Amino acid sequence: MSVAAHTTPSGYLLPSIHSAPPFFTKQINPTTRSIADDHWARIILGYARHRRLFTLRVEDAETSGNDWDEIFRNERINRRLLPDHLASLISSMVTNNLAVYEPPKQTRSVLLYWRRPEEWADVLHSWVASTGQMNTIMTFYEITDPPVESPLSSLPIVILRKAIDVLSKSGRAQIIAIADGEGVRFFPGGSKI
Amino acid sequence: MVVRNRSALSATLTNSPYIQSLKPPMHRLGGVGIGAFERHEQSKRSFAELSNALSQAQVDHLHSQLNQFRTALTHFASTHRDTIKNDPAFRRAFQQMCLSIGVDPLAGPRKGGWWAELLGLGDWQYELGVQIVDVCISTRERNGGIIELKELVRLVSKLRGVDAGVVTEDDVVRSIKTLQPLGAGYQVVELNGTKMVRSVVKELDRDQAVVLGLAHEAGGRIVVDILVVRLGWTRERSQAALDNMLLRDGLCWIDEQDEESGVSYWIPSGMQWDE
Repeated sequence: MSVAAHTTPSGYLLPSIHSAPPFFTKQINPTTRSIADDHWARIILGYARHRRLFTLRVEDAETSGNDWDEIFRNERINRRLLPDHLASLISSMVTNNLAVYEPPKQTRSVLLYWRRPEEWADVLHSWVASTGQMNTIMTFYEITDPPVESPLSSLPIVILRKAIDVLSKSGRAQIIAIADGEGVRFFPGGSKI
Repeated sequence: MVVRNRSALSATLTNSPYIQSLKPPMHRLGGVGIGAFERHEQSKRSFAELSNALSQAQVDHLHSQLNQFRTALTHFASTHRDTIKNDPAFRRAFQQMCLSIGVDPLAGPRKGGWWAELLGLGDWQYELGVQIVDVCISTRERNGGIIELKELVRLVSKLRGVDAGVVTEDDVVRSIKTLQPLGAGYQVVELNGTKMVRSVVKELDRDQAVVLGLAHEAGGRIVVDILVVRLGWTRERSQAALDNMLLRDGLCWIDEQDEESGVSYWIPSGMQWDE
């Protein structure tokens, strides 16, 4: 059979391996399995970035009609990703630092790192600089839900915190207690990590 | 009829009628006495000299023929160099001609062979070899190191950015032979009439070879039932062959969502990958 790349209705280009029937089965041979896992991780993170999705749950493979249908189901070959397969993919992504369990201490739901916290830190810092908000105290809400859509819109607070941590370590940000919780102030400091 | 002078003997010998008349007198003059011994030695030396002269003439003749051949070949190579490189049909005809006169265009005393140097064909062939290695290695993770020759040609052509037919299966097979000294185990094997290129040093057992062949007929998919029906194998043997390929050698992928059989096995090298 011939397997080819496919563009989903949302415009995401799936690699040809996504049209290979055995790709939707958890492979037994360890070498083959790690190859398949790598491909899946790439597809999942790529799609998450394409659609700005941050959370992935094992349930997403159980039912249809969610954000992940386009990649967890391939109607053209009548295959779908099964929940226990997704669970194992999720755990291998966590092992490889491509995702983190959120909330912690469970294994059914993860936050996806389609950008590493360090990369988010750079994005955050340059956004603050370009919008002229250096040295002002901002709430987390002002960052993740700005009036004008930004690269940080709808960023989960957990990831935002990690990004701020990275900036704090290089003296480019400081968490400040304010009346209704926490705020953050950014400093120019060009030094990169 | 006694010739005492050596150079005179040579001169006499070249006039062939005397050659016959030389030996009998020697015998007639008898094998006794020191004089007879000297005469005998002398004529022996003269014969040796004559034979040297004759073979020297032959060698010279061969040399001049070879030189002529070489000149003609150089001329041919320089005239048709571009055609040989660019036209697959002409290249094939040329290589067949080489084969029929027992000359390997890539072999020779010098690196790459003097003929290959003249043609620049050596570089072409080695370049193709590098691209073959490239394709084999980059597809190895999904096909376990076995690729169909046709697929390899297709991917190499794509890599070169040339149309189908510019690089032929023939060229690829030839290049793979040039890779042999590298000891990387590149080999062309034939399974059920399909030529496959194996890029891993891995012995396929007989059952696996047959399974690969069958899978290729079916576009890569293989199930136990097909082996039982088509080959008359027992279920156990069929299962064992597939398990070996799957678990031990990683040559195939398992599909547990097969509509017909529940479980099927896929040989990636039997599938056509468009990327």
